[in-house]
Amino acid sequence: MALERESVENALFKAGYGTIFAFMLVPLVIVIATSFSPSGNLDFPPAGFSLKWYSAFFDNIDWLRAFDNSLVIGAGTTVIATFLGTTAAFGLEARRDRWTQLLVPVVIMPLLIPPVILGVTLLVYFNEMGLRSSYVSIILAHTLWATPLVFFVMQSIFQRFDWELRDAGMDLGANPIRVFVHVVLPNVKSGIFVSALLAFIISLQEFVMALFLSSYGTRTIPVLAWTTLRQSLTPIVSVVSTFLILISLVGILLAALATNLDFIAKRL
Amino acid sequence: MSVTTRNSLLDRVWEPFRQQPGSRRALLLMAPLMVFEFFVFIAPFLMLLRISLSKQVRGLPYEAGTFTFEAYSEVLSSEFFHGLITYSFKLGIIATLLTVVLATFYAYAIWRSEGLTRTMLLFSVVLPLLTTLVIKTYAWVPLLAPRGTVNELLMAIGVLQSPIQLVPNTTGVIVGQVYIVFPYATLAVYSVLSTLDWEIVEAARDLGASRPRSFFEVVLPQAMPGVAVATVVSFAWSVGAYAAPGLLGAGSDRTFAIEVETQMLVGFNWPVATALSAIMLVLMFVSVVILYTALNSVGGDVSHGA
Repeated sequence: MALERESVENALFKAGYGTIFAFMLVPLVIVIATSFSPSGNLDFPPAGFSLKWYSAFFDNIDWLRAFDNSLVIGAGTTVIATFLGTTAAFGLEARRDRWTQLLVPVVIMPLLIPPVILGVTLLVYFNEMGLRSSYVSIILAHTLWATPLVFFVMQSIFQRFDWELRDAGMDLGANPIRVFVHVVLPNVKSGIFVSALLAFIISLQEFVMALFLSSYGTRTIPVLAWTTLRQSLTPIVSVVSTFLILISLVGILLAALATNLDFIAKRL
Repeated sequence: MSVTTRNSLLDRVWEPFRQQPGSRRALLLMAPLMVFEFFVFIAPFLMLLRISLSKQVRGLPYEAGTFTFEAYSEVLSSEFFHGLITYSFKLGIIATLLTVVLATFYAYAIWRSEGLTRTMLLFSVVLPLLTTLVIKTYAWVPLLAPRGTVNELLMAIGVLQSPIQLVPNTTGVIVGQVYIVFPYATLAVYSVLSTLDWEIVEAARDLGASRPRSFFEVVLPQAMPGVAVATVVSFAWSVGAYAAPGLLGAGSDRTFAIEVETQMLVGFNWPVATALSAIMLVLMFVSVVILYTALNSVGGDVSHGA
């Protein structure tokens, strides 16, 4: 009797998480499937197989330009966010008091504010600064989101680092920057790599702030996908989505190889 | 670059910092981020407040140098804006409830699983999390459309006689919004669960607690900090939802975020857009503080009781 009940519970439990698993991944699979549509409709299951929307993508100058914009903005965000997050996490490790602890909530806050409000706020501000629709404005906005992730990944990496190694280097007379480059850096390299990767993906996929801050010349892939969707539902958006999903997929695999998926998942 | 020249370069970089005490150096390391947060986060919000107190004027985003509460009284006294704000909060509450219940369950399943299953389950939340909002919303169009996958499936197995309207509709908005915030909520609960000791649960079971009972009385109270974070994140983002109601909603599914965008980019009425943003921020901040305190005190009480 008890055993029977246990197996019913087990079956229900498995069915439950299996359903959610499908709920999470099926939409993405369907988007990829519709990118091979032979017609102009988003059919699933697809009525056939065709690569015509892929060639349409590569023939379209607007999409290619948006792709370049996304790369420029992603690269800028990666560099700035990785620098800001890593130095601050390193500094916080060396000095923890009431004032420096204040930095933590300020760094998290941008993640908790609806992106539309952040977008409006930054648009108003950058407009006043004369930076409206510049790459710089979008890079700084994305940095606001990417930095907390870098910061928390690096914080936990620095916490696991054996600081006696550093002290040993210092005792041997090396200056702290030399110790950082020769002793600390090799040990936290994979953490920095994962942070940079996450920062890049965050920037590549971010859309609401970019929608507010970009113009015709600086719009990114997600922004162009959104503007296209508002006019018509076309499989070309599925093509672009397939590329973006693949980039994230490769990014997750690389990050998981450098550390592990569990580590990354806990810090997102 | 040889090791010696690199080291001498590193020594030269160090020179200016030599005189500084250690704690000052740590501050110097944090300085770039502090400066960044001030100029890209705090200063912009002060600017937002200033512009929300400007006069509205035709043909320009706002009239510089004016000071008035006009935009605030317009938002606060209009039925139209009240409707938007109520709808946003309703959507926020429904999406948050659904998300947090499902996410807590899923996080528990990830925590209990091992090996390949755990990797696959984690992957199923990390991939959507790192996928753009646009795709996460758009993906539901072919699924929920009148001739879409879900309707066809339900008709094939005889649940439905004719297709039901899921998009554009509030149902679609809620499904899309839950899908958007679900990964964040799951990982928030999971990261707390993963610090727990499974043996406490085993002990409760050995003492005769049923599995559901051991979950509700032992696991859940301990996971409460994670559940609280999941609730706050889901709520803040769902009240501020833009993409899901924009693409999956009907005309009546109008959130404040969509209105802010329209006022800002189409209507060029910056005082109203910024005042509405500021009012929503205050309302959300107050509800988040109440929610967070309530959830944490619930967790505390139960764990003392158990």
